Amino acid sequence: MANVDFRTVTKSFGSFTALHGLDLSIKAGEFVALLGPSGCGKTTTLRMLAGLEFPTTGDIIIGDRRVNDLPPGERDIAMVFQSYALYPHMTVAENIAYPLKKRGVPKAERGPMVAKTAEMLHLTALLDRKPKQLSGGQQQRVALGRALIRDPKVFLLDEPLSNLDAKLRGQLRAELIELHRRLGRTMVYVTHDQLEAMTMADRIAIMEGGNLQQFAPPAEVYARPANRFVAGFIGTPGMTLVDGALVKSGSDWCFEHAGLRLAVPALDGGAAAGPAAFGIRPEDVHLGKGDLTGEIVLTEATGHETIVTLAIAPGVRVIARVAGTPALRMGERVPVWLDTTQAHVFAAGPHGRRLNNSSGAASAQPSIAAPLRVASKGVVS
Amino acid sequence: MRKFLGPVVLNLFAWTTILAVAFPLFWMLVTSVKPQSELFRRPPTMLPESWTFEHYWHLLTQTNFLVYFRNSVMLSTVTTLLVVGVATLGAYSLVRFRYRGREGLAFLVLFTYLLPSVVLIIPLYLMLVSLGLSNTLFSLVIAYTTFALPYALWLMRSFMAGVPDDLEYAAMVDGATRMGAFVDVILPQLLPGIISTALFTFILSWNEYLYALVLVNSDEARPLTTGVMNMLISSFNIEWSLLMAASVMMSVPLIIVFAFLQSYLTRGFGAGAVKG
Ligand SMILES: Nc1ncnc2c1ncn2[C@@H]1O[C@H](COP(=O)(O)OP(=O)(O)O)[C@@H](O)[C@H]1O
Ligand SMILES: [Mg+2]
Repeated sequence: MANVDFRTVTKSFGSFTALHGLDLSIKAGEFVALLGPSGCGKTTTLRMLAGLEFPTTGDIIIGDRRVNDLPPGERDIAMVFQSYALYPHMTVAENIAYPLKKRGVPKAERGPMVAKTAEMLHLTALLDRKPKQLSGGQQQRVALGRALIRDPKVFLLDEPLSNLDAKLRGQLRAELIELHRRLGRTMVYVTHDQLEAMTMADRIAIMEGGNLQQFAPPAEVYARPANRFVAGFIGTPGMTLVDGALVKSGSDWCFEHAGLRLAVPALDGGAAAGPAAFGIRPEDVHLGKGDLTGEIVLTEATGHETIVTLAIAPGVRVIARVAGTPALRMGERVPVWLDTTQAHVFAAGPHGRRLNNSSGAASAQPSIAAPLRVASKGVVS
Repeated sequence: MRKFLGPVVLNLFAWTTILAVAFPLFWMLVTSVKPQSELFRRPPTMLPESWTFEHYWHLLTQTNFLVYFRNSVMLSTVTTLLVVGVATLGAYSLVRFRYRGREGLAFLVLFTYLLPSVVLIIPLYLMLVSLGLSNTLFSLVIAYTTFALPYALWLMRSFMAGVPDDLEYAAMVDGATRMGAFVDVILPQLLPGIISTALFTFILSWNEYLYALVLVNSDEARPLTTGVMNMLISSFNIEWSLLMAASVMMSVPLIIVFAFLQSYLTRGFGAGAVKG
């Protein structure tokens, strides 16, 4: 167990810079998810930590040691590859034992360790099989086993669940959470799936275009997105974001756009009148009361709730989340109330920073995180 | 009716082809065990009336056959080892490392095949003479390596490209050095490619005639192809029975090598371990 620090790490491939001065401090024992759209530099970050890629500038620290120049085998890490990368010519037992063999653990000691790891991952019956004789879920477990058999300082996982079907993914997600709780090891988990990041991680590092956007616990990321990118990225359905202008009326700030005039929560000291973006989450948009009128443009019923898209002004659409399947007709005009105490205000631009840090409900429950930390007893076979 | 005719025609065709290919081999075998007196009888006898191994015995005891045989075995084995070794490492470099001119290099290697090998004989001969290597087995090893290597490199390159990078990286994370990862993880995946390359090179070296004829003219260093020709075929006479016996014995090593390696070639290619 060890902390991990990235200190202003830059990575360039030729003229293309994949990572721009990443600063990230991961505490010992923490489960951190690297989350971001495809191509944002997550894998590159993980591979640099593993020693499979070298930073162009900056330092990488594991424990209290600078590891920039250490080869992968000497960094005391274990990694689960997105592709699993099981050795096809070795049996499951040989695959799991390989890291021990390479570290000079005598054969007599390897046997019991393999047996113990296999037991933990329910692989005991499969030890003599070759990887290609296993299902996706079983291969996944072998890849995990090969990482877990050692007691490394840091576990690295690169989208380990992305190749699995939804059901299996749910089960393994729960098992990974439990595993982390049991082992208490530092884990760095790369994913592009916000549900995985929100449900599993202690803290989420959200990346985009090679830049770290926010590094905070899931609830914080959801309730107080640090900038407009994070606000739009986290949450399904996403936050409604409207571009307009901040104006001051007396001592209060207001947001104006297309004839709309919305109250905004208390803003930070640095806020200035001018272009800005207003954001509101679907659960903070309420139908049936309020002083605005919205025309229903689209309804999407999922069973337990209905996602309603409303036009509240020319060119301004908001998304509301309504419990159950209420009788709503397309084109119908309904009163709409935006709970502006829960609104988010961002500076102009795609990465405009959050302007209402002093307000915003940090306590709000992230509503996308449905199956939150449920330990599963089910075993995938 | 039609349903019945299709397979019959197909079978007929297949067996005719097989017979056409196999008959010369059968005739070679039969001729090698016929006594001299029966050789030119008309009509010819399909199966020998009396069997004899005198031609084999003669070749093994009275001639240089065993020297040539030893030369051929050495020559083909050394060439095969050299080509497989260089091609495997070369393919690894071409696929795994990034450097300027990598693709160009790969195509340049293929380009050498555009030159007919006859054109290269004289320059190569002169070069080997000036290196003091003429009339040695080693000169043939060098010559054969130069023809086999380009193709071997391309063959191994395509096999190498089929091995996922992650396997090697996983081994390195698991504590192996780069070389260790290559030996433990990459090499086993390349086995079918290595075997194909080895077979190709071995057969090429075993059967090569032209270069052997030009580069070597001492009995000490002659391989089977030129040795047997030189010994049994003269302007006045062809020793048919000896030639057939020699041909049978020349074929045996190839048959053994094929029989031994063929099962490896068709065995699973280790697919399915890496998804994505
Ligand atoms: N070896 C490489 N050479 C050139 N560009 C690369 C290389 N590896 C990654 N990149 C680029 O760096 C960016 C980040 O890649 P990656 O870290 O794999 O993204 P992801 O967040 O999807 O894992 C991508 O635009 C990718 O094309
Ligand atoms: Mg990736």
